[in-house]
Amino acid sequence: MMPQVELRNITMRFGKVVAVDEVNLTIADGEYVTILGPSGCGKTTIIRIIAGILEPTKGEVYIGGKGMKGVPIEERDIGYVFQNIALFPHFTVQSNVTFGPMVKDRSREEQQRTAHRYLELVRLLDKMQMFPSELCGGEQQKASLARALATGARLLLLDEPLSALDARVRVELRYELRRIVKQLGLTTVHVTHDQEEAMSVSDRIVVMRAGGIVESGTPQQLYTTPKDIFTSNFVGETNLLEGWVRERHEGRSLIELRDESTITVEQCDYDEGDAVVVSIRPEFVFPYKDGLLSKIEHLTYMGTYWRVRAEARSEDRMEFDVPAMEGKLYHPGQEVYLMINRKAAVVFLRPREGIAEAVKLE
Amino acid sequence: MPNIRLQGIVKRYGDINAAEDLNLEIEDGEYLCLLGPTGAGKTTALRIISGLTRSDKGKIFFGDKLMNDVEPEDRKAVMLSQTYALFPQLTVAQNILFGPEIRDFPESMKEDTLNEMLNLVRLQNRPDAYPRELSGGMQQRTALARALASGAEVLLLDEPLRALDARLRISLRYELRDLAKSLGITTIHVTHDQEEALVMADRIAVIREGRIIQVGTPADVFDNPASPFVANFVGQSNFFVGKVIEKREATEVRDDAGHSVFAQPGGCRVGEQVVVGVKVGNTEISKEDGGFFEGTVERVLFEGRNMHVDINVPSLGRYSSKVPSWRLGKIAPGEVVKIKWSADKARVFAMPEKGLADELKVE
Repeated sequence: MMPQVELRNITMRFGKVVAVDEVNLTIADGEYVTILGPSGCGKTTIIRIIAGILEPTKGEVYIGGKGMKGVPIEERDIGYVFQNIALFPHFTVQSNVTFGPMVKDRSREEQQRTAHRYLELVRLLDKMQMFPSELCGGEQQKASLARALATGARLLLLDEPLSALDARVRVELRYELRRIVKQLGLTTVHVTHDQEEAMSVSDRIVVMRAGGIVESGTPQQLYTTPKDIFTSNFVGETNLLEGWVRERHEGRSLIELRDESTITVEQCDYDEGDAVVVSIRPEFVFPYKDGLLSKIEHLTYMGTYWRVRAEARSEDRMEFDVPAMEGKLYHPGQEVYLMINRKAAVVFLRPREGIAEAVKLE
Repeated sequence: MPNIRLQGIVKRYGDINAAEDLNLEIEDGEYLCLLGPTGAGKTTALRIISGLTRSDKGKIFFGDKLMNDVEPEDRKAVMLSQTYALFPQLTVAQNILFGPEIRDFPESMKEDTLNEMLNLVRLQNRPDAYPRELSGGMQQRTALARALASGAEVLLLDEPLRALDARLRISLRYELRDLAKSLGITTIHVTHDQEEALVMADRIAVIREGRIIQVGTPADVFDNPASPFVANFVGQSNFFVGKVIEKREATEVRDDAGHSVFAQPGGCRVGEQVVVGVKVGNTEISKEDGGFFEGTVERVLFEGRNMHVDINVPSLGRYSSKVPSWRLGKIAPGEVVKIKWSADKARVFAMPEKGLADELKVE
């Protein structure tokens, strides 16, 4: 059994700044949860509170059902991996791994077995006699992970573990990270600002903004049916069209845009006359013989497809994708009609503070 | 504004070759991305252009003018580091006017420059803010305005988006590129992020171990990579090693175990040992008949637009594919799938001298 983690009414103030505001969160036994949000949203504060590095101003943390008030970090049975790789430079990889407090009191033989086991898991066995400076960034971070795991921790806290690495290395390591964690069945809390990373590693993502939780769900739920407009734009790119509900029917509603053009959506929870925003991802918009009249501004080659930037007559920004082969059919200045996949559209009530403010990234 | 030429640049730090016969030409007004892994020599190249680092050998020209002995402040090529290096004790306006102050611009000109720059980077409302009061994106724009106000004709951007959040980085790509292009300023942008380079660059120069291995438009570098390394670094690729069996409208390559695949016709001989590379996005999987070989799905990762699927192929190892997310649920770990690609999407490369694994190393 791995521990369940529970945050009850956690508030953290730094002077006048409220970094975390009344957060409640339960992470199940063996679950891989990622806390995702922009800089300053409070995600790092949360993970530090779970670790016991910070004592919350209010509220309590429970790990495996036990209240953690006053319990120091070394007694919380956690492994912690930082963004900045913190290996001991004058120790070999193996010695780094066996340095953990739970490991170093054991017999020499057992220490070696432990190092062997975890270095094999992270695929660094062949480098165990090397010094950190002889490893590249990705390998160093794997060694840090092996060290965190070797303590026998059952709760793993990952604080932006991939942020310091190159883009290409980052992508490879995130697949590894999930494999390793799932193999051991650990309860994991991973903090990141990278929505792609969050989607590919997590069982569940918790989206945070301005000290509070916006919503949580599986990567698929957040991508396909976000409940909040902020999530729709933060977890993947999207087009946001401003309008109001003209007709509402079961399974088929009509939304009118600012130029009086209309689009049909399948799901709409709001009443006729309500001001709304329709979120539709670029891969669900396609050129057709009728639809929203739009003018192409720019084409970008994405390798296997072209991302086209256009402006609809309704003055909404429309991005859509066309297959690589069809890129030559389009050029800046061209007018096209765009259809949207009505099943993929998500409708939100138009935020009072305005769309720009509601989806602001910083 | 001048075009920039680097000819035979060599720079060594002890045993490390930061630049090794580096040749590169950047057009007037071009947005060029210098793309490569950590330690490839990207920043060194940038520093040599700015004059902050002297090369051991080779020549650098701005237009027809040899620049080797020209001081950095006289080059009008301003380098912007990833941490922006704003003066923390100065306001946005004071930071922007730092260059004009030193050069002793007349007051009216300073004011014009300041207003122009504030408008350009959309900081009209924040001239009196200090850097610490600004968001990451605003700090970045301030640094850009400062560089431009100092009369830069060439913008040298060292991982300009690295310090920003991932999602913000994506939004700011267009903004930064549009700004540089609207000013017509020659820009060299260093990055390790292939997607950033694809989206932003007029041309991409791929650098590795101090050498430029390929220069071309994003489409060129993606579709016609010069080496297996480029094929894998600019958009991930799958590889197949074997001997050329036949060359006609497509090249047939077969391995010792009898697997056979097809690729573009290329400059290889029948019987030669080659590497076939195909982008994961162009690698198709299906449960229907047909396919070069089959494997078992190891894992399926939801990435939003696509799913990333890893397939274990007996005796060949791991192949990956990107599959549109609407196929979610139709492909699950443990299932057996056929793998194939269309021959015109796969490139044939000569077998790298040091072997494929070494060729593909990204660190």
